[in-house]
Amino acid sequence: MEPDAQLVQGCLRGEGPAWEELVRRHSRRVFNLCYRFTGNSTEAEDLSQEVFLRIYRTLPSYRPAFGAFPTWLTSVTRNLLVDHYRRTRRDRLTDSIEDAMPKLENKQSAGRTPDKLALASELSAQLQQGLSRLSPELREAVILRDLQGLDYSEIQTVLEVPEGTVKSRINRGRIELARILEEMGLRPQN
Amino acid sequence: MTDWNCALTEERLSDYLDGILSPAEAAEFSAHASSCDDCGKLIAQVGGLVHRMRALDALEAPPQLIPKILESTLGPRRAQSAGWQRWFARIPQFWQPRFAMGVVTVAATLLIVLYTSGMSPAKLKKADLSPTNVFRTANRQVHLTYARGAKFVNDLRVVYEIQTRLQPDAEPSPSNTPAPAPQQNSQPPSVNPREKSQASPHPGHSQSRNGTMLASLLNTHWAENFGSIVIGTNTRSPR
Repeated sequence: MEPDAQLVQGCLRGEGPAWEELVRRHSRRVFNLCYRFTGNSTEAEDLSQEVFLRIYRTLPSYRPAFGAFPTWLTSVTRNLLVDHYRRTRRDRLTDSIEDAMPKLENKQSAGRTPDKLALASELSAQLQQGLSRLSPELREAVILRDLQGLDYSEIQTVLEVPEGTVKSRINRGRIELARILEEMGLRPQN
Repeated sequence: MTDWNCALTEERLSDYLDGILSPAEAAEFSAHASSCDDCGKLIAQVGGLVHRMRALDALEAPPQLIPKILESTLGPRRAQSAGWQRWFARIPQFWQPRFAMGVVTVAATLLIVLYTSGMSPAKLKKADLSPTNVFRTANRQVHLTYARGAKFVNDLRVVYEIQTRLQPDAEPSPSNTPAPAPQQNSQPPSVNPREKSQASPHPGHSQSRNGTMLASLLNTHWAENFGSIVIGTNTRSPR
């Protein structure tokens, strides 16, 4: 396996296969981040596409000093997600979060989403509902730490906030999410 | 030491779960957790959640996602298929009739050039391909072809001339021909061997009409018109 840095160099030389490999290697991760943040498969797909389009265009400006390629990729994704969140906030305010919940459930039970099998896991589905009730700041912190497996310093780079803030957001996010899931009747221990 | 409380437990919960508390802090944390039911329950809840979230498999991306990304970045052609399939997909573009026709024409031209320049593919040696040798072979072949062509045309003209002379109707007046004949008898001896062989059976005083015609033909027109050409050809062909 070629390291990401070599693939990036290949892309900068205009090698299509290098870019293809980079996309294959990271698209699932980007999609998961988008899906966990938005809770909508179609939106997550469109956003993932947008992320890679932006990466493709801004790749010449990438420097290893910005951090490892996956961290940079996560930063780009996160910034797009925040933009998307702000863009669609007005739409979300019109229909309340209670209205959104059954929609998500219907979508899953209809079996139309491609990730039907993955969402068959009850925890995964309930977790998604719980995440959507967290504030975006806490949500992104928990997703990056516990679902994407980033360490504190990487999250600090992505979110561009001090380490103390990162730690506090992750901690508050976890506790809040646990309480939400308890309200929903999910027992994390079982 | 004893002032560890529920608020502090909640605040340091993630540090505890991530294992970044100092040993002293961890001891106090555990001591409080075991004595406080609420905190014990919270630790179990959050700890269980974190554990299960980390054990969760990443979701599969929709299968159309990667092709869509590649299409929007690299363009539609590259996104279709990977590896050898993509390579084979290009073949039909080459085998359009126009392209195939061009290939055949070029191949035929090369073959013709090859054969006329006297190079046989079976006997082709590396030395034959050097520019000097190619030029020499081509030059020799051109001269040979020219000489053969000239000889062929001359032969045809001889036959044609004989034919026209042998047909009396087409001939204007055979009686006129003997007059200039004596002048032409002094032609150079270096005539075509064929001419001699044709001339010997009829020395020029034959009584038959045909004989007279042939004699006059040989002595006058033939020698006059073609002798020089034949001689010219003969001098030219040895190069």
